[in-house]
Amino acid sequence: MHDLQRLAPIDFDGPAQFEIRNLQYRYPNGQQALRGVDLSVAAGDRIALLGQNGSGKSTLVKHLNGLLPVQQGALLYQGQPLVGEPLQRARLEIGLLFQDPDDQLFCSTLYDDVSFGPLNQGVSLAGMEPLVRQALAAVGLEELLYKASHHLSFGQKKRAALACLLAMKPQVLILDEPTANLDPGQENILVELLRNYTGTLICITHDLLFAYELCQRAVVLDQGQVHHDYSMAELVADPPSMREHGLDFSFRLAGLANHKLPPQQAAVAAPEAQLVDAVAAAETTAVVELADYSYRYADGTQALNGITFALRAGESVAIVGENGAGKTTLLNCLMGIYSGVGTHLFAGHLLGKQQRRLLWRKVGMVFQDPADQLFCASCAEEVAFGPRQLGLPKDEVIRRVDAALERVRLGGYQDRVPLHLSGGERKRLAIATVLSMDPELLILDEPTAGLDPQGEELLLEILRQLPQTRILVTHDPFLVAELTQRTLVLHRGKVLQSYSTAEFLADQNQQSLNLLALSYKSDCSREILELQHRHEHIHQHEHFHEHLHRHGELVHSHPHQHEHEHEHVFTHSHVADSTEHCHSPRGRFHEHPHPDHEEQEHSHEHED
Amino acid sequence: MVEGQIIQLPLVLLLAALLLLALLSLLAVKVLKSAFVGKQTAQKEPDWSVPVVDADAEGTSLFHRWDVRFKLVALLGFAFLVVATRSPEAAMIALLLSFSTVLVAQQPVYRSLKRLLAMSGFLGMFLLVMPLTVVTHPEDILLVFSGLEFLPFNLRGLQLALAIVGKACAVALLMEPLLATASLARTVEGLTRLGVPEKVAQMILLAHRYIFVFLEEARRMKTGMQVRGFKPRTSTETLQVMGNFLGMLFVRSFERTHRVYAAMQSRGYRGRFPAPFYFKVTAGDWLHAGVWLLLGIGLLVFDRLGAA
Repeated sequence: MHDLQRLAPIDFDGPAQFEIRNLQYRYPNGQQALRGVDLSVAAGDRIALLGQNGSGKSTLVKHLNGLLPVQQGALLYQGQPLVGEPLQRARLEIGLLFQDPDDQLFCSTLYDDVSFGPLNQGVSLAGMEPLVRQALAAVGLEELLYKASHHLSFGQKKRAALACLLAMKPQVLILDEPTANLDPGQENILVELLRNYTGTLICITHDLLFAYELCQRAVVLDQGQVHHDYSMAELVADPPSMREHGLDFSFRLAGLANHKLPPQQAAVAAPEAQLVDAVAAAETTAVVELADYSYRYADGTQALNGITFALRAGESVAIVGENGAGKTTLLNCLMGIYSGVGTHLFAGHLLGKQQRRLLWRKVGMVFQDPADQLFCASCAEEVAFGPRQLGLPKDEVIRRVDAALERVRLGGYQDRVPLHLSGGERKRLAIATVLSMDPELLILDEPTAGLDPQGEELLLEILRQLPQTRILVTHDPFLVAELTQRTLVLHRGKVLQSYSTAEFLADQNQQSLNLLALSYKSDCSREILELQHRHEHIHQHEHFHEHLHRHGELVHSHPHQHEHEHEHVFTHSHVADSTEHCHSPRGRFHEHPHPDHEEQEHSHEHED
Repeated sequence: MVEGQIIQLPLVLLLAALLLLALLSLLAVKVLKSAFVGKQTAQKEPDWSVPVVDADAEGTSLFHRWDVRFKLVALLGFAFLVVATRSPEAAMIALLLSFSTVLVAQQPVYRSLKRLLAMSGFLGMFLLVMPLTVVTHPEDILLVFSGLEFLPFNLRGLQLALAIVGKACAVALLMEPLLATASLARTVEGLTRLGVPEKVAQMILLAHRYIFVFLEEARRMKTGMQVRGFKPRTSTETLQVMGNFLGMLFVRSFERTHRVYAAMQSRGYRGRFPAPFYFKVTAGDWLHAGVWLLLGIGLLVFDRLGAA
C-alpha cells in the first residue's frame, strides 16, 4: 500500500524549479512509460530517482530537459513550459549526464567537447580556454586537455563527460547511473565532486549507498507513477517498501556486517586460511596456472607484467584492481584470445598455439555488457549457439538449452527475443549461453553491473549455486565477499596482492588499498543499518492509514490520520544507549491490525 | 601487332633483377618495421595539456601556422596539378617536393613511409603489370628475355607505371602536412568556410569520433562469438551468424546515434557545431598559397614542354 498523497520531504517557499502535473507519455510503439507523474522540485533539491528497470525514470528525466515533448499533462521549468525559446534556455541550464560517456563525448578532443556547451551558451572565444581548463581541473583531467576522447579510459571518460556539464555551470544536474562501471577510486572522486555541487541534483541510480550519500530526497517510480516521495533516510529505513519496488539492498548490508572482520581477527584468520589453501592446493591439480606471464599490446603498452597465479578445481578467485590495471587483458589471455609470453598451463598441460585455440571448450566467459555476446534472434538459438559449435547432437543441444534457461530462472523464454528482455534478464541469458557449454572454468566480468538490487539479489543466488571453478572480476567488495575465497589484487599489470578474501576485506576496512577503498560506502552502510533498527514497542503514536470506518451511519474507507496506542514493530532510533526511542516526526503510512478500531466512532474532517 | 625495338637479354639477368628487387623490398619492410616498433616501445605519454597538432601550437613549422583554408586550397590545388602531369620526371620532382614538405612540416617520416608501405602492394602491381600489358608502339623499346619471348617487357610501360607510382606517392605524402598540422575540427571548419555543406562536415567529425567506438564494439562482439567457439567457414550457418552479427551491430549503432543526438541537443545543439577557434588571414598565408600553386603550374609546364 502506498502513500501517494505525501508532500515532498523538503518544504520550500516560492515557485518550484520544476512543476510536473499529471505527466503522461506513450512511446510510438504503444508502451505507456509515464502514467500521470506529479512532482515538484525545488531549487537546490538533491533527489534520488529510484525504481526498477522500466519504471519510467529515464523517460521522466528526458522530459526534464525537453528531449521528449509533453504529450499530456504539464511540465513547467521556472514557471514556463519547455517549448520554443524557454526550452533552448533550459537545455543550457540543465546538465544531463548520460550513462555511457561515449554518447556524450562526441568531439575530437576534450577541449572541443568541454567547449561545446559554453560556446552554445554564447561564451566568447577569449574566455573559453580558462573556463575549459577550470572544468577539466575540477575533475582532475587538466593535463589531458587536448587528448582525443577515444583514447581515454572509461573512468576518465566519465569524469570528462561531467566536466562538459560543469563548464556550462548548470543550475540542475541530472545524472543517469553515474557510478556504473567505475572503479572505487574513480567513484570516490565523483562523489567528492558531486558533494560540492550546489545546484539541484537529480540522480538515477541503482546504487542506493551512493544515492544515500548524495541525496536527501528519494522519489520512487513504479510503472510510470510516483509511488513514494520520501526523505532518503526514510526510504532506506523501510526495507519492506524498498522490497516492493525491487530496491531492497539490505542483503548487501547483512553481507557486509557478516564479512566485516576486525583487523586483528582477520590477521588471525589469515594464516589458517592460508594453511587450508596450502593443503587444498597440494591435493588438487591447478585448473589454470600462469607463471611469469606477460603481455604487451601492439602499440607497446605493457598490460601484464610477470603474472604468477594458480587456480585449483572448485576454487573461486576474485580479480580486483582499478580501471586499466590489466584485468580484462588477463581474462583475454586466460581465454586464449591473447597470447602472451610465459608459462600458461590448463589442467596441468602446457598450452601451445593450437591448444590455446581450443580453450573455449573448457573456459566460459560472461561479459560485462551482455550485448557483446547476444546476437541471435531468440533466446533458444542464443543458448544453443555454443553447444552447436561443440558439435553436440540435436537432442543434447535441446536438453542443455532447457536446463541452462531453467538454471538462470528463464524457463519458458525459449522463443523470446533477447533484444527485448530487461537488463537483468539479458544478463542471466548471457550466463545461460555459457552454462549450456558446461565449462570447467567460469569467468564472470562485473556480473551485476547495471542491475537493480532485486536483479542483483537473484543473480547472486544463481551464481552461488554454480559448481564451476570461478574467476570473478569486479569492483564490488560485496560480491568478492559473497562469491570468492581468494583475491588477486592487480595494479598496473602486476599482482600486488594474492591472499584470502578475508584478508582483502580486512584491507578494505582499514582502507590500506587506497585505490580500492570505498570509505564513504562503509559509513553509509553503518548509518543505514542503524536506521533500519526495528523491534516492537508500545506507545501512543500518530499514523496515517486507510480502512473501513464509521461516522454515525456513514461507513466508508479513505486514508486518514489519528493517534493510537498499541504494540507494533517500527523502524526507530534510540537516543544514545537509553531505551528511549524516537520516530520520524512525520506521520507514516503503514498497516497493522487495530482490534475493534474499525467499529469505533471516527471524527475527522472530509474534503468535499 | 606493332613491332618495337627489341633488345635480347639472358634470362639470368631477369632472375637477378627480380631477386634484387625482392631483397630490397624485404630490407625496406624490415627497416621500417624495426623503426616503427622502436618508436612504439620508446613512446611515452605525450603532454596532452598543450595542443599537439593545432595551428595555435608553439610549433614553428610553416604548415602549422598556415591558415587551414589556404592550406586546403593550395595543397589540394598542387595535388591536382601533380596528377595532371604525365612524365615520370615530373612525377619524381613532385615526389621530391612532397617529401621535402613532410620534413619542413616536422611530420614523422616513419609515419609517412608507413602510409606508402600500405600502398606499395597496389602500386607494385602497376610496376609489374603495365610493362607487360601496355600496347606496343613502333618507337617502344622491348626487353625480351631468352626463353620468355612470348612476354616482352615494354620500357614505355615501365615509364608509365613509374609516373603513376610517383604521382600517387607524391599526393599521399602531401596528406600528412595537409591534415596532420591542424586538428581535425579546425580542418573541417576550414572546409565548411570553403563551402562544404555543414552537414557533411559534421558527418566527417562524428564519423571520425565514432569509428573507434564501433570498431571496439565489433571487436568485443567478435570476441563474444569466438569464446563460444565460432569460426568463420564457407557455410550457410556462418552466413547466418555473420548476418546476425552485422544486424546487431547496426541496431547498437542506430541506438547510439539517437543517444548521441540527445546528448548534443541537451548541450544546446541547434543544427551547427560551434567553432572554438579564430581564423585570421595574413599576407604570409596568401604568399604561401601562391608559392604552392606556382610550383604546381611550373611542374605542369615543365612536364608539357619536356614532353614536347
